[in-house]
Amino acid sequence: MIGLDDYAPIVGQEVIDQLQRLADGLGPVRFMHINSTATGGGVAEILHRAVPLLNQLGIDTQWEVIEGDPFFFEITKTIHNGLQGFKVNLTREKWEYYLEVNRRNARKYSWEADFVLVHDPQPAPLINELRSCAKHWIWRCHVDVSRPHLPVWRLLREVVGRYDASVFSMPQFAQNLPHPQYIIHPSIDPLSDKNRDLTEEEIQAVLDRLGIERDRPLLLQVSRFDSFKDPLGVIQAFRMVRRHVPCKLILAGGEATDDPEGPRILAEVQEAARGEPDIHILLLPPDAHYEINALQRAADIILQKSIREGFGLTVTEAMWKGKPVIGGAVGGIVLQLQDYQTGFLVHSPEGCAFRIRYLLHRPEVARRMGNLAREFARSHFLITRHLRDYLTLLTIVRSPGGRVFEF
Amino acid sequence: MKEEVWAENPFWFRDCFLMTMPIGQRAVNLRELLHAMQEVSDAVLFYHLFQYRLAVAAPLVEYPNDFALWAANSLRDVRLAEKLSSVDPFDYENLGQVRQAIVELLEEYIWDLPYIPWARPGLELHFCEASTVVFRSRISARTLREFYETLKKVGNDSIYYHLFEGRWRLGVREKDDFSYWIETNLNRPELAAEIRDLDIYFYSLREIRLVLLKLLEKYLENPQ
Repeated sequence: MIGLDDYAPIVGQEVIDQLQRLADGLGPVRFMHINSTATGGGVAEILHRAVPLLNQLGIDTQWEVIEGDPFFFEITKTIHNGLQGFKVNLTREKWEYYLEVNRRNARKYSWEADFVLVHDPQPAPLINELRSCAKHWIWRCHVDVSRPHLPVWRLLREVVGRYDASVFSMPQFAQNLPHPQYIIHPSIDPLSDKNRDLTEEEIQAVLDRLGIERDRPLLLQVSRFDSFKDPLGVIQAFRMVRRHVPCKLILAGGEATDDPEGPRILAEVQEAARGEPDIHILLLPPDAHYEINALQRAADIILQKSIREGFGLTVTEAMWKGKPVIGGAVGGIVLQLQDYQTGFLVHSPEGCAFRIRYLLHRPEVARRMGNLAREFARSHFLITRHLRDYLTLLTIVRSPGGRVFEF
Repeated sequence: MKEEVWAENPFWFRDCFLMTMPIGQRAVNLRELLHAMQEVSDAVLFYHLFQYRLAVAAPLVEYPNDFALWAANSLRDVRLAEKLSSVDPFDYENLGQVRQAIVELLEEYIWDLPYIPWARPGLELHFCEASTVVFRSRISARTLREFYETLKKVGNDSIYYHLFEGRWRLGVREKDDFSYWIETNLNRPELAAEIRDLDIYFYSLREIRLVLLKLLEKYLENPQ
């Protein structure tokens, strides 16, 4: 079992010691996480590792997953899309069903906690029924809510306005809410199957299994088949590049259990790539972390051409592997890809194609960019920094009214 | 060889943990930056001048504050970035004066411009402040050598706290925590003066640590 000490060689012993001091300062507290999926997506991935590590630090941490039927997840996907700015139609009936499923889940719970961190909108209404089960309720929004569709936000604001604090991934997602708002950037786990070091043999074995030959430079985008990730724009960019430079494109997507839109988008992507042997479309199961790791390590350039993005953990994963990344200038990608230093920001398929060509012709720039990206990720986007932020957040939320807390 | 001086009061390194708090205000062009500079609280100004170093600092430091960085990267106005970089907050008595200096700089700059530069989409400046949690780290030093060895081990946040926050907290901007302790406890006024002369505003926290270590090595090798 991986413990805190295993991270010391990666981030430095001083970082681990600091975490322990912060946890000791908090004393015995109970910390509950609630989200809507145990697999798939960055939230579940990070909780799988963060929860045991927090427990190791002496914070009594638990994680609950709410249950829902396909109609519930269809509704929460509508809410999700509405928060990201799509003009969705969220009917009163759907909203009531969303609240009802949360009520049903609430009836199953019997825990008590000092702090509850509720991830994303799916379980947000639990506070209506369970307010008295915890002293401090914090809403953690992982979604890009910089320009939400107002009718959806108006409804959700009623719910999240009851929380004591909220946490967003980027400052631009902050909203007009009646409580303090904080920023915690998401993170990746450098020791997980998705990010740990792999040998060249391990990488090659995965490529062989997936039927991918490394006879030309590999371009890779890893993301759910979701219109916000613009897989069609990536194919468009690839076709522009391929007129000038030989290369291959891999679109590798996982399916999250709470995303009913995936199959439709996947079909559109398959249609767009029809008759093109140099485009590999891989539909991977949610636990294909090892395969994704190998693909990222095999890639020459990694793309994340999103047109909306909460944070973009696939960008972080690629940076940690020392790869040059080209990303859409949206959400947290802007923070991670410091233009020309740790990656390239682009605004269109043309821009994406241009930067791919730029990097393919200049391998030394690609290498330098990758190295800087890895160090940037080490300092700011690994799980140890995330744990530090959780502990700092709890310390601050428990002591309202001030901005500097000295111990 | 001169006997090592033991400090009467050990130096206690502090941990400094920061939570960024967005205030929900942004600037999409230079005129909006000017308006915001006139209105936002000192806490916001302090965040973008100093605390952003602890939040997410670019791996290569080119511009020493968030405003200059934004002018260069988002407005693509390098001339303005150069001007904003030359405002050193440590040249002023308080944040009010720093604010006034930046406001005047922006007013003069805009006055001569034929058009107002806008941020690239997605690269607007979002104003923030921060809450900080400061802990006594249980790491202390009593001699210059201990201080040197300890400085290698503490986090970047400690360096930030004692050099940046320290200067404003003491109300005496020329004196940071490190040089103050070295001067008053180790009787090393020359070393204290050299630390105060470091151009810390232009270094990343990682670089500051390296520069400090080098400086301390010089004094440890040549005890006076």
